[in-house]
Amino acid sequence: MTIASERLPVLAQAARRRVPLSVVLDRQSVFSWLMMALPLAFLAALVGYPFFYGILLSLEDRPVAHTGTFVGLKNFVTDAHDPIFWRAAINTFVYTGVATLLKMVGGLGLALAMNQHFRMKNLVRALLLLPFIVPTVLSTVAWLWMLDPAFSVVNRLLVTLGWPKPGPSWLGDPTLAMVSIIIINTWRGLPFYGITLLAGLQTVPAELYEAASIDGAGGWARFRFITLPLLRPIILIVTLFSVIFTFADFQLVYVLTHGGPANATQLFATYAFDIAMGAGQLGLGASVALAMLPALALLIVALTIYLRRE
Amino acid sequence: MVTGQGRIRQAVRVWLPVGFFLVVALFPFYWMAITSIKPNAELYNRNVMPLIVHAPTLKHYVDLLTQSSFLLWTWNTMLVAVVATAISLILGTMLAYPLARMRFAGASLITMTIAAIYLVPQPLLFIPLADVINRLNLGNTLTSVILTYPTMLVPFCAWLLLGYFKTVPKELEEAARIDGASRLQTMWTIFLPLCTPGFISAGIFAFTLSQNEFLYALIFLTKSSVRTVPVGVIAELIRGDVFYWGQLMAGALLGSIPVALIYSFFVEHYVAGLTAGSVKA
Amino acid sequence: MTEPGTHHPTTRRGFLKLAAAGTAAAMSRPQPAGAAEKTITILHESSFIKPFDEYVMNTLSPAYEKATGIKVNYEVTSVGSLPTRISTIAETGSGADITMNGLLQVIQFSNKYLDVGDIADDVGKAQGGWYDAGREAVVVEGKWKAIPFANIGQLMNWRTDWFAEVGVKKFPETWDELYEVGKKLKAKDHPFGFELGHGFGDNHGWLYPLLWSYGGAEVAADGKTVTIDSDETARAVDFCRKLFKDTMLDDALGWTDVSNNKAWMAEQISCTNNAESILWFAKREFPEIGKVTDQAMNPAGPKGRFHLLNSISHSIFSFSPVREEARTFMRWLMEPKQLGGWYAIADSYYQPLLHGYDSAPMWTVEPRNLPYRDALANAHLPGWPAPASRQLAESVAKYVVIDMFAKACAGASTKDVIKDAAAQLKDIYRSA
Repeated sequence: MTIASERLPVLAQAARRRVPLSVVLDRQSVFSWLMMALPLAFLAALVGYPFFYGILLSLEDRPVAHTGTFVGLKNFVTDAHDPIFWRAAINTFVYTGVATLLKMVGGLGLALAMNQHFRMKNLVRALLLLPFIVPTVLSTVAWLWMLDPAFSVVNRLLVTLGWPKPGPSWLGDPTLAMVSIIIINTWRGLPFYGITLLAGLQTVPAELYEAASIDGAGGWARFRFITLPLLRPIILIVTLFSVIFTFADFQLVYVLTHGGPANATQLFATYAFDIAMGAGQLGLGASVALAMLPALALLIVALTIYLRRE
Repeated sequence: MVTGQGRIRQAVRVWLPVGFFLVVALFPFYWMAITSIKPNAELYNRNVMPLIVHAPTLKHYVDLLTQSSFLLWTWNTMLVAVVATAISLILGTMLAYPLARMRFAGASLITMTIAAIYLVPQPLLFIPLADVINRLNLGNTLTSVILTYPTMLVPFCAWLLLGYFKTVPKELEEAARIDGASRLQTMWTIFLPLCTPGFISAGIFAFTLSQNEFLYALIFLTKSSVRTVPVGVIAELIRGDVFYWGQLMAGALLGSIPVALIYSFFVEHYVAGLTAGSVKA
Repeated sequence: MTEPGTHHPTTRRGFLKLAAAGTAAAMSRPQPAGAAEKTITILHESSFIKPFDEYVMNTLSPAYEKATGIKVNYEVTSVGSLPTRISTIAETGSGADITMNGLLQVIQFSNKYLDVGDIADDVGKAQGGWYDAGREAVVVEGKWKAIPFANIGQLMNWRTDWFAEVGVKKFPETWDELYEVGKKLKAKDHPFGFELGHGFGDNHGWLYPLLWSYGGAEVAADGKTVTIDSDETARAVDFCRKLFKDTMLDDALGWTDVSNNKAWMAEQISCTNNAESILWFAKREFPEIGKVTDQAMNPAGPKGRFHLLNSISHSIFSFSPVREEARTFMRWLMEPKQLGGWYAIADSYYQPLLHGYDSAPMWTVEPRNLPYRDALANAHLPGWPAPASRQLAESVAKYVVIDMFAKACAGASTKDVIKDAAAQLKDIYRSA
């Protein structure tokens, strides 16, 4: 018999008879909190403390190597007046929104394509995950070379098809630069979506499809009414992860364009970095970084509500 | 019925989309590979067909290994990844087990807190964290990243392990408790050994995430001797405004291989880990 | 702040210590010796020219140790990592005694640097006097917070063979002349390519001088009044747009520092603004291209000819436990024997800021580098004519001037881009 969760206060127990320590430690609550103490302390020290310290920093004027002076909301006011801040905000939302949509749709397509029987399926699955596994900065450097109009295979193709030489300027044109980072982000994250959705697809019982076919439902109807609803929870979880990762993305833009051309690809993370490490303004940089928080929270709440709609 | 036509149709239905995704996924790696073996003259030549190599050379690899600290960076990266993963698995287990098996006041609060920590991505923390690391005098030490990587890995591991733990049948633990084992003993001797697949899944996920980290490494590690591969490659194979492209690609490829190899041995677990939390949670 | 040598309280867990022991080489910085032997640690950014760093390690350090018994520890950090490194040292109060500074570090860390005006004065008197540019980079609030070392200049790089094809033997004197040549060359599929993206050097190298040569400026000499909104600026912006549209590769809009080097070696462009790296790399890897690469001073505008000041200097940390020894060392380092030898090793990649070196033999090694010396006379920091300040650093980090030009080239109206830049600068300089 398991020791049920005691309701008796320890003192009362002790008054009646000495309770061995081992019994106390075995209480569910005591055991649980003791077990979680170390990780919670770790997280409190290295996530909680910096988080609140970051909030304090954002309320200070704190140039590097100087002590900080409290200035209240001045940094946020500066941000509100800063056109680059708003540009970064818009960019981050657009980047996250479009890339996530592409990854979701593409991932679904990948999952459906992979949800068939064929030889070497496991090898293919492993290869498909490579873009997600390999360190982002390393694959981005490869893209940097590939997107140079003079060396790009895509440009070569387009030029042969009639496009004026030397073909689109992927990193020079502000709109195309945003397109480029969305493409690379999608390339990187699609396998994550796809393989996860694939696993989800594989848990859908075949009988459901069979029953539906017997009832006369076509492929599309089966997809809409069986597959999608059952995949909803997975789509939610994966999307949540993906949105957070993409919204806070730093590496891709840092290596590819460093925010250019003219801030067309500047994101919250890269802008905060430039201000803090480039200009040495730690307080102002912290305020830009913190601006991510409400936006992130909003995104996640919205997503959860939308996908939980039954 | 399996007619010849049916077979062809089936092959097309499989390999057309799958092939498409494969080409898209792998093309940049092919590019990395051929660029890394092209001599400079060919590399910078715009008129040559870039998709094939005419005069392959291993010079870039040799230069990479002899003129830069690439091997040292690889060692650092592996060391950091292994230790950070170990820490994260331990701490993650300590969080996940009570949440999976115990009922106690505050459990849902803890679960929500862990979820909330996902909302605190690295770019939000890097400025105050840099300050903390400086004050602890850990700048330019591997300890700085070994300590900070788990901040993003522990919530992951906790969540993955939580999902996995819930799927383990309770009978064995209950039997042990009946026999008088303490909770600690039960957890340590009965439960955890059953969870090896879960640990491998979470572990391999944490390992690959750790390999991918760049921001903290960029800020905390400025001495070449303590750098990890991502930072080393980006910061040092670019001297001012000269990209040593051949070496960069060689470095990018070599930097990707260990991760890809290790993960390829554990793909099943990796995928199981990806889905354990989402499907079974 | 912790003194070097003391053990800080352990916050690490036992098994981390194990990891630490396992990688002793990679772990904490070397403990400076106790009372017996003194060490001076100098932090430097890794030099583009390898022999330059080796000269200190193999020639200068041993010489000093022999003469004084003090060890000199020369540490290099990779290009681009210097600001972060100095940040850590300044914030923790330990890690180096002398440091090299790039463009902005003297400003940002001036409160942690010793006043070295006395050393600078003596050096200037002994070796022909300082260029104004040298003073401009290191004097903060009236005090010399660093000893100027050299300029790493940016010049126009041009393809002599292609220019000759359109009848031009000497590099154009004015921006308008350059524009005409560019139009012809673009028609012959040899366009120009000047960086307009978010790099760190090749964009500043021509855009600030362009602005100044038309008479424009971000801020007035008082360091407070924003003056970017002017007719002169408008003329500069209009010219820049013209130059981009009619002579350049479209891609240049998004270029960072490496792009024009790549384009040069791929023979895509006939003219760009760059430091010595293009010529240096071409001579080694693509000698044929190297033969037809030449360097020239920036063209002049209606209000003169200007160049970007990209000076490096040396500072002594005020919290260094060996600061007196560091002072003595700096004096020794800046003596002609040491300084001259060090400069010479790098083949004029570092342009001395002392007039005493104007006729040094180093300039004869590669005559194409002579314009670097001549450019010193009109080289200035971004933000000129205002003195160095943290607002300057913020403006540079936010690419205010760069983006103003870039947005105009991308199609925005001159009025709008200047309005935006003015608003940004007003915000930045509000606290001045």
